[in-house]
Amino acid sequence: MADSLRLSAACIAGALAGRLSVSFGRGRGETLSGRVILALDPSAISKLGAGRDIILVSGTNGKTTSTKNLTNILRDFAGEGVSTSESGANMPAGIAALLAQKPRNRFAVIECDEMYLPDVYRMLSPKVVVLLNLSRDQLHRTGEVRKVASLWHETFTRDDVTIVIDRDDPFLEYSVANAGHVIRTTFGGRRHPDAATCPNCAAILDWSTGDYSCPCGLGSRLPDVRADKRLTGPQRNTVLVIEAARLMGAEILADEAQLLIKESPDRVHEFSADGKRVSTHLAKNPESWRQALGEIVADQVVLSVNARGIDGRDTSWLWDIDYSQLIGKRVVCTGERRLDVAYRLNVQGIDVSVASDFTQAVKGFATEPIQAIVSYTAFQDLLTAELGLSKGKAGSR
Amino acid sequence: MSLTIVRLYHDLLGTYGDQGNAEILIHRAKARNLDVELVEVTPGMAVPRSADIYLLGGGEDGPQSAALEMLKSDGGLNYAAAGGATVLAICAGFQIIGSALPDANGQMTSGLGLVDAETIYDSSPRSVGELVIEPNRGGLPILTGFENHQGLTQLGKDMPPLGLVRSGVGNGFNKQEGVWHGNVFGSYMHGPVLARNPELADAVLQSAIGPMPEFEDLFAEAFAQERRNTLAGG
Repeated sequence: MADSLRLSAACIAGALAGRLSVSFGRGRGETLSGRVILALDPSAISKLGAGRDIILVSGTNGKTTSTKNLTNILRDFAGEGVSTSESGANMPAGIAALLAQKPRNRFAVIECDEMYLPDVYRMLSPKVVVLLNLSRDQLHRTGEVRKVASLWHETFTRDDVTIVIDRDDPFLEYSVANAGHVIRTTFGGRRHPDAATCPNCAAILDWSTGDYSCPCGLGSRLPDVRADKRLTGPQRNTVLVIEAARLMGAEILADEAQLLIKESPDRVHEFSADGKRVSTHLAKNPESWRQALGEIVADQVVLSVNARGIDGRDTSWLWDIDYSQLIGKRVVCTGERRLDVAYRLNVQGIDVSVASDFTQAVKGFATEPIQAIVSYTAFQDLLTAELGLSKGKAGSR
Repeated sequence: MSLTIVRLYHDLLGTYGDQGNAEILIHRAKARNLDVELVEVTPGMAVPRSADIYLLGGGEDGPQSAALEMLKSDGGLNYAAAGGATVLAICAGFQIIGSALPDANGQMTSGLGLVDAETIYDSSPRSVGELVIEPNRGGLPILTGFENHQGLTQLGKDMPPLGLVRSGVGNGFNKQEGVWHGNVFGSYMHGPVLARNPELADAVLQSAIGPMPEFEDLFAEAFAQERRNTLAGG
């Protein structure tokens, strides 16, 4: 009794703090609300998750989009309440807040940061975990890909949960090596740029067939689902999302699945600057940049790079990417680290100039179409500015 | 005049973007009208013995051990370095060219021994952040880079460092960072280091081919200056 009172008090205080935070114009208040809840009841996450059908979504790229996608599918097919973070908060405080909001919702689809996944997994008893992909990202914070994979490998040992993975990613296959129930999806194999050696035994992986094999046996388990080799990164994520939804009881017919995959949401947003529309991709690490570069068809391109915490403080990864797609186009670089990316393009022989901010960059182009690739905090800044403009208080933050 | 650059196992030692050092050397050599050939050495290939510059980058512990074992059994890099070839080795690569380092299981093993430098892993937190050093040699200005490493590297007493640490950790002993011994350069600086420090790129090129004409590279100089101004106040 005392325990449930404590949780109730924590949730009331958290909700109040969240509302205060919103009324002072400080975002959606999820993180503050969650911090208050966890300060007053450190075991709030496991209590709030008890008895609910929980799905965790993690991976380097596509977490937020896949979480939204899965939430929408479950809302359509299950016809029951589905809790999720609307803002993409994916650390324990945000997760506590989203669980506290509508505690009677049967389903919760929870995006989880890669480093927090082991803790969150142990606090909740998820029915399904979706692991999308693992590649280099924010090396200053998460350490190397192999360290994240080892952490996950130690985590997934229970057999009361089903884990959905893209088995073409050797780090994911290693992550679930000790797990009881795994849905392995294959897209026909593709070279992973960070996996020259085996995450399990450190031998050189054999990629000669376009897929990996290793004397230690990693990757030899047969896949459960075979999907089209030509799918893009966001489409591959949708395939995993559909498998997760099916595990939760959603009946998705083959042609419905095809449509969902074809119309996979991507992190593209249309911003306006200098009276022109700019189709803008959010990309934050080598793999998501490669995917975004593949979508560039316009001849006028803006690239914006920052190196604040979540962007990765070391910009060296810009040299891991092949920018051939931009040869022959006009490129303007902006953001706090515009010179890092401009010099990289210059060395690759691409026509490049720099501008002090996004609007100045767009001013360099007389007409549409214009496409942009921007790093995480640059994208957030553009969203904040857009929100500020629509409320008539530009530049409030 | 021609120049052959060998990039060693960039699949294994390419975690931190150091493969860009090859592109920068090629860019700056071509600007001096040199014919440049880049040889990519992948696992299973023999290391060429007669190239001018050999590049090693940073990588994770397992791949680092794999690269070290292959380089030991191949012998080509030791042969070339003994003959005076230029070597630029970053982070895990810097540890590999030293005399001793921990393997993937934490057991000490011998390195290639191109320089007298012993790497240890102690309990101190990982060294992560911007690094600023003063070379005080070769006419080099302040150099900047980004370090991200667990190991700390002690140079033998006659081994000259690349520079002294102004801010950051570097080798973790005696305020030293990297090594510059004959034609062998080692450093913990990513960026890649030659992108952020064009003067060091030219020092590496010159150690291989001798004096070169000046090259005014506006983007490179603006980038290097912006980093120095931001991190060291100019």
